[in-house]
This record gives sequence, structure tokens and C-alpha cells, in this order.
Amino acid sequence: MSTEVKARVKAREIDESRQPKRRRDLSDRAIVNLFIWPTLVLLIAINVFPLFYSLYLSFTDYSAIANQAPVWVAFENFGRILADENLWEVFSTTGQYVLFSVTLQLLLGFGLAMLVREKFFGSGVVTTLILVPMMLSPVVVGLFWKLMYNPTFGYFNYLLGFDNPSLAPDWLASRFAGQPVPGLALWAVIIVDVWMWTPFVMLLILSGLKAIPDYLYEAAAIDRASSWFQFWRITLPQVAPLVLIAVLFRTIEAFNKSFDLVMGMTGGGPGTQTEVVAVNLYRLAFLGQWRTGRASALAYVVLIMVIAISNIYIRYLNKMKGES
Amino acid sequence: MASFEEIGPRSPVTESIRVDKVSPQARLFKNLRAITVLVLALVGLIPVFAMGVTALKSRADVVAVPPRIVFEPTLEGFVFLLTERSQLSGAALTTAQENAEDLGLFERIALANGQRINGPSDFVMRLRNSLIIAGGSTIASVTLGLFAAYAFSRFNIPGKDDLLFFILSTRMLPAVVVAVPLFLMYRQLGLHDTHLGMILLYTVFNLSLTVWLLKGFIDEIPREYEEAALVDGYTRLQAFFKIVLPQATTGIAATTVFSFIFAWNEYAFALMMTSNTARTAPPAIATMLGRGGIEWSAIAAGTLAFLIPVVIITFALRRHLLRGVTFGAIRQ
Amino acid sequence: MDLTIQNGEFVVLLGPSGCGKTTTLRMISGLESVTQGDIYLDGRKVTWLHPSDRDIAFVFQFFALYPHMTVRQNIAFPLQAEGQPKDMIESRVREVVEMLRLRHLLDARPGKLSGGDKQRVALARALVRRPAAFLMDEPLGALDADFRETMRAEVKRLHISQEATTVYVTHDQIEAMAMSDRIVVMSDAEVQQVGTPAEVYHDPANLFVARFIGSPGMNLVSGQYADGAIHLPGSNRYNVGNGWHTALPRDLGGSSEVIVGFRPEAAHINEDGAIAGEVYAIELLGAYTMLHVNLDNEENEIVHIRSDRQTRYPIGTAVRFDLDPEMVRLFNPQTEMAIRREVTP
Repeated sequence: MSTEVKARVKAREIDESRQPKRRRDLSDRAIVNLFIWPTLVLLIAINVFPLFYSLYLSFTDYSAIANQAPVWVAFENFGRILADENLWEVFSTTGQYVLFSVTLQLLLGFGLAMLVREKFFGSGVVTTLILVPMMLSPVVVGLFWKLMYNPTFGYFNYLLGFDNPSLAPDWLASRFAGQPVPGLALWAVIIVDVWMWTPFVMLLILSGLKAIPDYLYEAAAIDRASSWFQFWRITLPQVAPLVLIAVLFRTIEAFNKSFDLVMGMTGGGPGTQTEVVAVNLYRLAFLGQWRTGRASALAYVVLIMVIAISNIYIRYLNKMKGES
Repeated sequence: MASFEEIGPRSPVTESIRVDKVSPQARLFKNLRAITVLVLALVGLIPVFAMGVTALKSRADVVAVPPRIVFEPTLEGFVFLLTERSQLSGAALTTAQENAEDLGLFERIALANGQRINGPSDFVMRLRNSLIIAGGSTIASVTLGLFAAYAFSRFNIPGKDDLLFFILSTRMLPAVVVAVPLFLMYRQLGLHDTHLGMILLYTVFNLSLTVWLLKGFIDEIPREYEEAALVDGYTRLQAFFKIVLPQATTGIAATTVFSFIFAWNEYAFALMMTSNTARTAPPAIATMLGRGGIEWSAIAAGTLAFLIPVVIITFALRRHLLRGVTFGAIRQ
Repeated sequence: MDLTIQNGEFVVLLGPSGCGKTTTLRMISGLESVTQGDIYLDGRKVTWLHPSDRDIAFVFQFFALYPHMTVRQNIAFPLQAEGQPKDMIESRVREVVEMLRLRHLLDARPGKLSGGDKQRVALARALVRRPAAFLMDEPLGALDADFRETMRAEVKRLHISQEATTVYVTHDQIEAMAMSDRIVVMSDAEVQQVGTPAEVYHDPANLFVARFIGSPGMNLVSGQYADGAIHLPGSNRYNVGNGWHTALPRDLGGSSEVIVGFRPEAAHINEDGAIAGEVYAIELLGAYTMLHVNLDNEENEIVHIRSDRQTRYPIGTAVRFDLDPEMVRLFNPQTEMAIRREVTP
């Protein structure tokens, strides 16, 4: 051993002999186990186990209110799902919801972030104000927008200038001046979703914008790049990864969490115009005939879709990160 | 008139800024930007204002056409929301009116509508449930998350990255995939519609948030402090409690509040896993619609009561906001 | 500051951190606003002109390369921003790439390059536009020491081949001395001296310049002037040369305090030397030896003397040395300015 190592070992020995006897001293290993296992056990019990049970159920015709044990039907549930026309409509509704909502959030959020990125009088306060919608409970938000959208005494139409209720759009009923306008309700929901989540996208992009070092812009200024050129060649490529993360988060949540908002506002109506997958699943599993097995199958289909989409996004993200 | 290039800015420059940002054109843009953002922010908050305003309207004002902007505020909505009333008529009504001065504020408002207060409404119980369940699950998830986060942060655990990803992925599941079997499980175990069942559920769901957030915060505490303590003879546990914990208080506070808000706002599982005893506020507000007519002022009052704590907390937490909402994936 | 820079000149703004040299450079480029005064480029008043209209190129200390673009795209960027035609861009880029030997790096991204390579790319980007002037902000500061010397030569070579007017900021006085046509020595946002490297080295205008330039700086010893000689610490007496006799009393006024300055190479160890002291420390630097000599053991007045590499004096040895009268400089301690000696025609 070198002299240095010998000295260190000697010091350690002296240290240890000076310490009082450790009575109930837990080794590092014990601590790790003690700290982590409770969490893992809980997660497995309440997240993983149901996942597998759900998988099993998807192959049965079980109904939670019937008093019979589950009967194995193999892929029949999945077959029925793929053949169901109504379901394709639900998927289409969901797809439109996700597409338009995320796109609008992206455009608005990006625009807001660009506006707020440089300090101006009151920018701190205003930024905080913008964040409020994001933190509210979606179902409650749905409820009070329901009031806002009310054609007779809601504020929405009033503020837009529709003074006469009989000549105003009835958003949640998809009607305008008595005539049905299909899809209007879906747009009403999309507007609320955008209202709620644009701040989130804005925050994300803003943090990306702030991370771009000033000297890049100084160099570009000296290199005679116009503002547009700078935006296109410097700003955009630098925030692209964050934009993708924002889109990823929002897409996943639009598939899963849209339940709260839609239930609060329309319950899936009028008819099935705003019935997104999450709502449809709920109805299938907990209302009407309680087709637990079929619902489980559908839930798995949705899960696989979400995983597939996420994978595409993440792969794209890694490609972008690898380049920079 | 000479151009900006020739004469320079109107008032002297006090800080070091780029020349092109000093020109009158740049100043104009800056002001325009400020105004635009302010307008957008205010417009965006109109719905929140609208709700606040509706909660203070009388029943008549709420359904007024066109909607009233100027009106006389009243606590009627809150009375409808928070109390159980019965209609009075005839002799009972006149007697009550004669003894009006003895009554409290709420009772007087009820009397104006010809009603007598019997006691607190269901909603009060729902609010209580929300507090218990959100509070209990927050404490549990933050505590467990704290321990797990510390272990992940300081030790080399085999498969650490995979485990962490697994914990994160539990967030990505659609609620309904898990809801159905959980519902069955809970029914079997007798946990359906119980406080314990809901607390357990929310604890687990918040764990992914708390572990990730707290790990991020603990990562930022330099290890040297604990190592110095270890050299001084402290055990790991003692180092954890005496050194890491005090330094992590802001992080713990932020995480606690985020967990609480997520649990407080939760609707889907509250709807599916409870029916009466343990039902929290969000499903209750949503179902107030079908009770003998639409009491919009009561609903507005309910949403207001539900939202105000969150709004206040948002302001307090704005610096940690990005971290919390993206699970610490983005460092601010 | 009142400074005029000639065409093709290489001027260095030199000084310690915080002296204002970078700020001055940024003001010239337009990245910072001026509170007082004017800037002219080629006769044009550019004080409030947009940085992109001043026809200058700026090389940043931290390279400022666009991280998501390849080297080729980085170099082409300024011309693309101007909207130049594609073939013109290609030929210019090729020209500059050959000049800086970057051909093998064209498709790499800045993140994968070494510091020296990154700086060469930054130089290429500056060169590609053929601007009227180059402004460089401590471009070699972020490089490793061995790279720095190579890059120093490269920058100088480019300057000569391009006949480019260059304003260069650094805190490294060796760099300044090696590369410049003229040096502007700055401290605390004030110009201390403007001159060629020789002027600044041999005739510092004040104590700051004397200390800052040279490695180590000039020896500065306090003494009293009386009866035609300066009394130095340790009972040493230095007889000043002829040119000083009129200048000294006039400059010092009634005071007799004076500071004697001499560079380490101005002193020669000599058994019969005029000044005596004791060896305090000795540095064997290979090519030569640096002696630290203490003139006064009680007050500790240490000077550096350069000696040939054979000298090995143990600590404590008594030595004597002489000063080359042509290389001695005198300073007024109150004003900190150099005293000008009368040169007899």
C-alpha cells in the first residue's frame, strides 16, 4: 500500500475506535430496503396488480353487477370492439379533441411565451395570473363553463355580443338559433380545454426560451440576421425538444384526463357528440349493463394506443436530443 | 427630422442594453407587448371572475337575461350550498318573521326565501371528506415519497432507472384501466366507499409525483453535508433526519402542496369508488344539478369555495409550479 | 477614452477583470449603449447604429456557436442571413475553411469539438463576411494553455494575411505584448496608457502599467531623493544619472519621496555592485534564474533580479548588483506617474 492509503486507513481506524458503541445501527442496505419497499409494495398492490387483473378480465364477459363468475371468451371482446361502428365514432371524436386542443394550446402557448419572455412592467404578476386556470379541478371548471355557456343567462354569449338569446348559439346543445350545428359542443369543450392548459404549455416553452443563452442572439444580431431569421434558425430549433415534451404530456392527458372536464360540462352529450374514449369507457363499465369485461378490453386497447403514441414521441425526442 | 441613428435616444440610457433595443421602435414594441399580455391575462381570467360574481348573486339575478354585471351581492348562494332547509308557511312563517332580530345572518337570508335552517347540508360533509382524504393521503404520500426519494438519490440501487421509470409510468395509465379491477378489489375487501380506501388510493397515485419531485429536491442538496456527519460519527438515519430533512423543507413544502392539490381536485376515482359515506366534493358539486331545480348560485358558491384555496396556493407556489406540473422533468 | 485606430492595425485593450475593456468593445459593436461620446467607423458616425449595420464581426469568449447546426451551417449562417446567393456562399465558405483548416470538421456539431477547434470555427464565421473590422472578446480565454499559444499565432497570421483592422480584448499581458501593434492599458474604466508594446514595456506611464506589464512586473522600490542620490532601503544609495537632476526636483516639488523602477533584466549581479542585499528566494526557471533579493532584512523590500542559469545562490547569501542607467525609471509616489527624464540632445 502507498503511504497515502496507509494513512487514510489508519485515520479511519482511529475514528472508529473513538466512536461510542453503535447499538441499533442500520446498515445502508437495510435503510435502502426500509425506505423503498413500502412504496414499491403499495404501487404494486394498487397499480400493477389491477393492471394484470384487468388484462385477465378483458378476456372474459364479466359484469360487475351480475352474480356470475367471469367466463372466458378469449378475443371476443376485442373483436366486438373493432367491429363496433359507434366506437369508431368515439375514437374520431377523441382524435379531433386531441388534435385541435393540442394544436391550439401549442400555438397560443408559444405565442404567450414569446410575449412574456422579456421583462416588462408587471410581467411577474401577469405570468402568475395566467397560471391560475391550470391549477383548478377540471370537473369544477367544466361546471362553471357550463354556466358560462348557458344561452340565456350565461356570460359567454353576452360578452361575444349575442344580445338576443334566441339568435345566439347554444354551445353545449350544438344549436344555433334553433338549428342544429353538429360538432359545436365538441368545440365548446375544446375551447375550455385550451383555456385550462395553454398556461402549462406556455410555462414549458418559456423555460426553454429562457434557457437560450443571450450570446447566441448577439452573435446573430451582428451577423445581420433579421428577427424572423433568428426565430426560425435559433429560437425554434432550441425549444423544439420542450415543445415535443409539452405535446407529449398534453396528448396523454387528453386521452386520460379529459374524463373530468367532459363529465363536468356535457356528460358526453348532446347525444354522443362529446363522448371521448374516457367517457365511453366509464359508461361501458359503470353505467347501464356494467360490461366489465368489454370495458377492460377497450381500456387495454386505449392503453396500447397511448403507449404507441408515447413511444413515437420519445423516439423523436431522443433523435432531437442526440443531434444537439 | 434626423433619424434615431443620428441623434440617439430621447432620454439618457441608464443600463447597459443593446443599441437596437433603445430605439423608439423597440420601446414601442415593448409597451405593446406589455399591453397585449395584460389584456390576454385579464380576458383569460374572466371565467374565474364570472364564477366569483355568480356566487354572490341572488337567485333572481343569476337567471336574469341578459346577465347582470351590476347587481346587489348576497350570500344566498352560500346559504343554499351549506345548509339543509325546509320550507315554512302559514303560521310558522309569520312567527319566524316576527322573531327576525334574534336570527343570525344565514338564518335571515333563508327566511327571506321563506325557509328555515335545519342544519348543515350534505355538501359540508363532502367538504369534510375532501379535507380528510386529501390531507391524509398527502401526509402519507409525502412521507413515503420522502424516504424513497432519499434512497434513490443517495444510493446505487440495482435497476434504479427502471424503477424510477416504472414509478413515473403509473401516471400514464388511463384511470379506467385500473378503476375497474380496483373497484372489484375494493368491493371484495370492503374498502369501497371508505375513507381508508380513498386515502390509500390517493396515496398511491400521488407517490409517483412525490418520489420524482422530492428526489429532484434532494439531489440538489450536496452530499458533503451528510458525509461530514457520517465522519463525525452519526448514523445514516441520524444524518437523514438532522441534516437532509431541514435542508429539504422548501422542497417538501412544495411537494406537499402539489400532492394536496392533485388529491383535492381528483374527480374520476372519487366518482367511481365512493357513493355516499366517503364521497368528496368534486363529484358532489357535479351532481348538485339534479336536485329540485338548478341552483346555480349554490353551484357557483360551491365551486368558489372549492377553488379559492387552490388559487391562493398557486400564487404562493408560482416559482415551483413548472417543476411540480412536469414532475420535476424540467428544471427551472 | 479618445482613441483612433488605423486601418489594418491590431489594437489590444488590456487590463484586469472589471476594468471596462469588454464593455468598451461591446460599445463599439453596438451590443451595449453609450452614455456619453461617439463612435465612428470609416468616418461614419455609428453610435446608435444597429450592430448589424456597422460592418463588423465579433468573436465571443465562449464561442457563441449555434449548437444545433453543423460547422458548415454555422459558418454559412451570416451570409445566409444576408440573403446572399447560394454559390457565393459556398465559395466563400470553402475559402475560409481552407484558410483555417477546418475541412475535416465541416459536418460535426459544436458540442463535439475541442475548444481550439470551436474558436477556429468562430473565427471562420467572423471572416466569412469580410467585414471592415474584427472585434474579439478574450477569444483565447476559454482555451487550455497549450492551445492558447497555437491559436495566438493563428490569429496573428490571419490578421496579417487579411490586413484586417482588429480590436482585441484580453487580460493576459503576454498575449497583448505578443500580438499587438498598439496596446491600450486600462484599469478601473480609465485608460492608463496607449502605446506600442515596446513603449508600454520600457516606458510605462504610471505605476499601474509598470506593475501590470511584464512577468513579473517592474520592481518598484521606494526611496528618498537627496543630494543628487536616492536613498534606498537597506542603507543603499543609488546615484541617479544626469538627465534626472533637473527633472526630479521639478516633478517632486518639495517632497523627497520617489519610487525607483527597474525590470529584473536591468539589474546585473556584480561583486562591486552599487546596491546590496540578501538572497531571499531563488527560482530555477531553466532558461534563466530569478533571484528574489531582500534589500532590507527588517522592512522586507524584495526585488526580482534575473541572472543566468548557472547561478545558484543559497538563501541568505549577500549579493551586490548594478542597475543599467538606461533602463531605470523613476516615479512620483503621490501622482503615481512616471517622471520624464530630460534627454540631453
